Amino acid sequence: MLSALLLIPFAGALGLLCWPGELATERIRRAALGLLVLQLLWSLRVLLAFDPGQSGLQLQESFAWVDSIGLDYRLGVDGLAMPLVLVNAALTLVSAICTRDLSQRPRLYFALLLGISGAVNGAFLSENLLLFFLFYELELIPLWLLISIWGGANRGYAATKFLIFTAISGFLILGAFLGLALVTGQADFGIHPVTTAQLSMGPQLVLLGALLIGFAIKIPLVPFHTWLPDAHTEASTPVSVLLAGVLLKLGTYGLLRFCLGMFPEAWALLAPWLAGWAAVSVLYGSLAAIAQRDMKRMVAFSSVGHMGYILLAAAAATPVSLLGAVFQMVSHGLISALLFLLVGVVYRKTRTRDLEVLRGLLNPERGLPFTGTLMILGVMASAGMPGMAGFISEFLVFRGSLAAFPVATLLCMVGSGLTAVYFLLLVNRAFFGRLAVTPPSGDAVADSRLEVRLPAVALRETLPALALASGVVGLGVLPWGLGKLSEQATTAMAQLPALVAAIQGGGLLS
Amino acid sequence: MPDTLPLSIQLSWLIPLYGFSGMLLSLPWATGWVKRNGPRPAAYLNLLVTLLAVLHGSLVLRDVLALGPQHLDIAWFAAADLDLRIGFDLSLTNLAALELVTFMSLVGQVFALGYLDKEWSLARFYALVGFFEGAMAGVVLSSNLFMSYFLLEMLTLSTYLLVGFWYAQPLVVTAARDAFLTKRVGDVLLLMGVVTLSAWAGSLEFNDLYAWSASETLPALGATLLGLGLIAGPMGKCAQFPMHLWLDEAMEGPNPASILRNSVVVTCGAVVLLKLMPLLRISPVAIDVLLAVGTISAVGGALVAIAQVDLKRACSYSTTSYLGLVFVAIALQQPFIALLLLFSHALAKAVLFMSVGSVIATTNCQDLTELGGLGSRMPATTSGFLVGAAGLTGLLPLGCFWSFGLMVEGLSSRAPFFAAVVLLTNGLTALNLTRVYRQVFLGSPQPKTRRTPEVNWLMALPMVTVSVLVLVTPLAMARIDRVPGIGAFSSVTALALVGSGLAGLLAGSLVPLDTFWSRSVLRPLRLLQDLLAFDFYTDRIYRATIVAFVAGLARITNGFDQLVVNGLVNRIADVSMASAQSLKLGVSGRMQTYVFTVVAAIVVLIGSLSWLGG
Amino acid sequence: MRPIPRSPKPPLTFSGGLPSSNDLVETLLAGRTLLAESPDHLSQVVDVLESYGEVLDAYSINLIYQAEKQFLNPFPVFRFLDGDHSPAKIWRHLLHDRINFEYAEYCQKAMLWHGTGGLDAYLDSEAFAANCAAIVAHKTRRDPLLAALNPLFPQFLSELIRSAATTHALGQFWRVMSDLFLDLARAERDGRVDSIAAVVTFIKEGLVAAAGGPITYAVEIAGTRCWVLPPEAGLTFLMDVAVPYVEAVFLRGTPFLGTVSFNAQAQQISPDQAQFMYGALYADPLPTMGSGIPPSLLMQDMYRHLPDRLHQSYLAGIRGAGDVRVKICMTFQKAMFCVTNAAIAGTFPHPLDSDIPAQQAANRAYAAAWAARLCVARTDCLDDPG
Repeated sequence: MLSALLLIPFAGALGLLCWPGELATERIRRAALGLLVLQLLWSLRVLLAFDPGQSGLQLQESFAWVDSIGLDYRLGVDGLAMPLVLVNAALTLVSAICTRDLSQRPRLYFALLLGISGAVNGAFLSENLLLFFLFYELELIPLWLLISIWGGANRGYAATKFLIFTAISGFLILGAFLGLALVTGQADFGIHPVTTAQLSMGPQLVLLGALLIGFAIKIPLVPFHTWLPDAHTEASTPVSVLLAGVLLKLGTYGLLRFCLGMFPEAWALLAPWLAGWAAVSVLYGSLAAIAQRDMKRMVAFSSVGHMGYILLAAAAATPVSLLGAVFQMVSHGLISALLFLLVGVVYRKTRTRDLEVLRGLLNPERGLPFTGTLMILGVMASAGMPGMAGFISEFLVFRGSLAAFPVATLLCMVGSGLTAVYFLLLVNRAFFGRLAVTPPSGDAVADSRLEVRLPAVALRETLPALALASGVVGLGVLPWGLGKLSEQATTAMAQLPALVAAIQGGGLLS
Repeated sequence: MPDTLPLSIQLSWLIPLYGFSGMLLSLPWATGWVKRNGPRPAAYLNLLVTLLAVLHGSLVLRDVLALGPQHLDIAWFAAADLDLRIGFDLSLTNLAALELVTFMSLVGQVFALGYLDKEWSLARFYALVGFFEGAMAGVVLSSNLFMSYFLLEMLTLSTYLLVGFWYAQPLVVTAARDAFLTKRVGDVLLLMGVVTLSAWAGSLEFNDLYAWSASETLPALGATLLGLGLIAGPMGKCAQFPMHLWLDEAMEGPNPASILRNSVVVTCGAVVLLKLMPLLRISPVAIDVLLAVGTISAVGGALVAIAQVDLKRACSYSTTSYLGLVFVAIALQQPFIALLLLFSHALAKAVLFMSVGSVIATTNCQDLTELGGLGSRMPATTSGFLVGAAGLTGLLPLGCFWSFGLMVEGLSSRAPFFAAVVLLTNGLTALNLTRVYRQVFLGSPQPKTRRTPEVNWLMALPMVTVSVLVLVTPLAMARIDRVPGIGAFSSVTALALVGSGLAGLLAGSLVPLDTFWSRSVLRPLRLLQDLLAFDFYTDRIYRATIVAFVAGLARITNGFDQLVVNGLVNRIADVSMASAQSLKLGVSGRMQTYVFTVVAAIVVLIGSLSWLGG
Repeated sequence: MRPIPRSPKPPLTFSGGLPSSNDLVETLLAGRTLLAESPDHLSQVVDVLESYGEVLDAYSINLIYQAEKQFLNPFPVFRFLDGDHSPAKIWRHLLHDRINFEYAEYCQKAMLWHGTGGLDAYLDSEAFAANCAAIVAHKTRRDPLLAALNPLFPQFLSELIRSAATTHALGQFWRVMSDLFLDLARAERDGRVDSIAAVVTFIKEGLVAAAGGPITYAVEIAGTRCWVLPPEAGLTFLMDVAVPYVEAVFLRGTPFLGTVSFNAQAQQISPDQAQFMYGALYADPLPTMGSGIPPSLLMQDMYRHLPDRLHQSYLAGIRGAGDVRVKICMTFQKAMFCVTNAAIAGTFPHPLDSDIPAQQAANRAYAAAWAARLCVARTDCLDDPG
């Protein structure tokens, strides 16, 4: 059942690439959309088959692949991976829908999109470290191509930066996995918690450190974030949606699954430092966002800030905070995808994202009023307004982490307040005031005479954003569905350190 | 909840939903789906659902009077040790506040139909008011802190959107932003308090929190910070110093929204504080801060109001002032006086703001220096202002007279200083309202007030209705407060009160009007005038401190990011890439390099593992 | 999804040129039109004036109905129904499927408030006070509420009567203008009007013909007919109503809540109403249909009566039907410049072809006075072919 989640996108991508003869762009697009809808439906089927009452991995599938090196094909899904698989399916579909004006090579483009989606599914579902790594690496190349072929003017620089950073991330992760196998002597590459009985604390910390930095690059956390704003600014809108909404979640998923999940004791040791790191990341991202002029860079820095909450939650590792982390992954996926979509619409219509230039886009007839309305909703959700997804996620994270790390939590809440500052700057500058898409001339009368003729926004361009916005509100008003889905898994994860301590020395875990 | 309860109580969770449904019902017009027809049906639908809310509220009130207070509780979200609930506390005070909120929303909406008669975005306005009303109805009924916080934030959002209603107007752009951010500061602090309480106390139900605070002894620092966090939210909502800035700026928004904001929104903030009051015992510092903030707000607000040349602002600063008195009453654990004061203030301030709105609608002007002579021509407006002013000051036996009387009586022995503050505020407010009345309604007509027919019936009718209500407020108050009765204060107190009101009235009538708006030649007096007229330069202080601090920090962070973090990366890349420059074979070339690397890595991996396995 | 050729994209912003005050004086004195001559301009102006004419017809009927039948009614709930209280009509009004008469009231209030010209002077006269006294005496006899309020607020009723008088006068003015604009559309269809110059001339002649028409107003109270604006007052169409209307609505206007702050400390609004520049010739068309922009109501009304030819031409624009009402506003502004042009041409103190230097000087001074006000108006629309 789970294999189909890999089969659909991968086979689709191969099919698109190898299809004999010419294919019209529109047909390729339809085929890709069809496959992605199928993937979404299949993900929903998996959801129906999934039993949220169990905490372990379910619907497992496995066969020995390259047995000699321990690379088994083992898939399984739990309450942590399930929501992310759904987000992946939904957001890939959204980014395929909002792909427009493809200038070249549509076949390759959609094949890469499908490939990424399949690889991400693979990474979320892998039960084998090497398999995870394989998929983790597999998703890099398509994304790098998507940025470097269909990106903006400075795409070469941004793509290379992205490649180097994430390649380092990959090597660190691989190194940690191999090192673990080396020092424990267990070459089955399963995902098991490591106890101090198996491995003393020193090597554990080294391995955990490598993994942490590897995933911190991907998430990204300060100071490893610098590839992200550039990648976002140069990537086209659909790629940004995918990058922010899905790919960053690989990092946070890895943080929970491999760092916390495999090194619970070392993690507990490092946790206070991690909480401090989270607070720095949140404040740094938020403050840097305030200073941005480019709307897309601003949203990108907001991602840096908001990913910090997940590190905080993971550091605290209480049932509530880990559930909050899952919520934050989902809600950040939806909200940042929404914001990037809307910024993309603004950019396509006005040809600029400069906040010193854009004004008055709420103008009902000549501006982008509907886009503006959704933008207000999106930034409010991101700033943690109740009734939307961001609030319940942040509340759970803060509530779960406060007892463990009060100072870091309070600092992160300040970061949440700063989110309102920069996003309000964005909305008030770009959407309030008299409509204009040129720099202010300094002469109010001349500015008030300027006629502006922006192209209209078609309904189909805003429908994906509308769908995401409904998701954001829906999750904010009725959060219990996601809560039920993930609660068992996160509670089990939060109990790992205690569990490991309890059976310490028993050697039962192998 | 037993099934034997009357349907009205069982369904009372619907009450906040009326307002929210009004918002949803307005959407077809607000979003422009309906292109050919105008937006008025949205207004009618909102009026209808608000009327339903009023009626449902009265039914519940009737049943609660018969059956006693009820509690309604619905699970919302639970995980691990966290249990977030939707809870309604159907007590008499909460329901009285609910009736006030929904009824004021109703009359405010009727007024808006007249005031905004040439407004094409009417549907958006009503959608926002519906949202506003739903959130307020929920806040006053809420039985737990989580729900109160949830809805207070929604109020912040809807205040932002209502102030930003005329989004293309340059001053609105900054006003809406400042309104949001000032309230947001209070909200984030409150959120810190809520999260802390949730973590420490477990349940967020007010009753559980009271019990917890009585039984638990907290570390002093923790208790103080918690107390300060909890009062920060209501402080922002009630426009108290130093978070009062937004109320001034919010005057850029449409007047009907100002009516609601100055009467019932601030009341909602104070109601939340009232619910928190028993909790504040954990922190004496928070109580002292509350007293200080309330006193400064009361006297400062009244003084600043006197120096304003803008009609709306001259009235809105007195809101800060009155809510300051409410804060003092709450800090001194006098919930009943606080409630009476809130109730009488809300009605009187509403009619005052309606009158102000109709002056603006008729004269296209809110500059006091350009107004005059409206008194003989606008009966509803003039009497509305007079009744509102009388209801606000302790001179004639209307609402605030009795509330002030009780407050002064209660404080004069325990805390005579605060009794004096009440009297001073009363006198200053009387002075301010008298001079505004003289400036606007008496004197000879000015160019902009030469042709001023009375406003249309949609504005006049709500104005007259609320005026009548203000006149009968004492009767209602007497019914609420049977023991010890609203007249339970000595004749000395009454004399002091009337004396302070009369002093203000006299001063306001005798001082030449131009002293209020022409700057004095005497330097110290001029400095004082400017200090008050510009609201103690609060906005400039903010800009020079917090705003500059955050902006500076943001610039430094960004510079650091560009120069150090990014610069370092680029430098490393330059060094390592310099040798690899020859390998720069374009996109596909680099891809091959990368694929080669991955393959090599896998080979190494297999090799090492087979070595390991062997 | 075809590869889109990377052609230069059309510019997103435009700004027209502004004629100087001297240019305007020469244009006016030479009898040239302010609006550039072009076939597009001609069809646009004529069509937009036709839809305006239809809207004015409804406005006029309603204002006259209000002044006569809703006179001093404290609760004029059904004042927009023109006396037709059928359920179908009430239902349509509940759905807001109607003309926005609020805009007519807005113009009436602006005219009353600015208070210029002969009508306003008469409203302050002794004769008018006597009329009011008679009406109040009649009215208070049957209405205890008014009888009680009148002594307390002595100016209350006369101020309402002044308002009603302006309402009726504006109704009469718009009656003439509506007929004139509809005639213009017919004339253009017949080929009698084939240029912007001919449009201006047509409107000028219409105005001149109506110039001397009397403006009168009487109300019926319990069977007694009372004069508010009696014939003896000698109020006439052009000088006493049309000119104050142009002053109040075309030139001065009132500040829009959606673009100007009323905050007294910000001092964005001039204390002197004569300095106001918020009228139709000055307004920025771009925010039309935004919040706080009252002319949106008029644009919506015209949108509902748009001639097909004009509607089709709008659909060709970059936003198609999406910004029709902004385009109507832009065209309307051009048309209002034509009407202003006609009004100026019709009110020169002396014939333009006069040889007498004193008369030429007087004409030049008159043109200069107008040019000084027009050169800061939205004249950038005049050369723009749309």
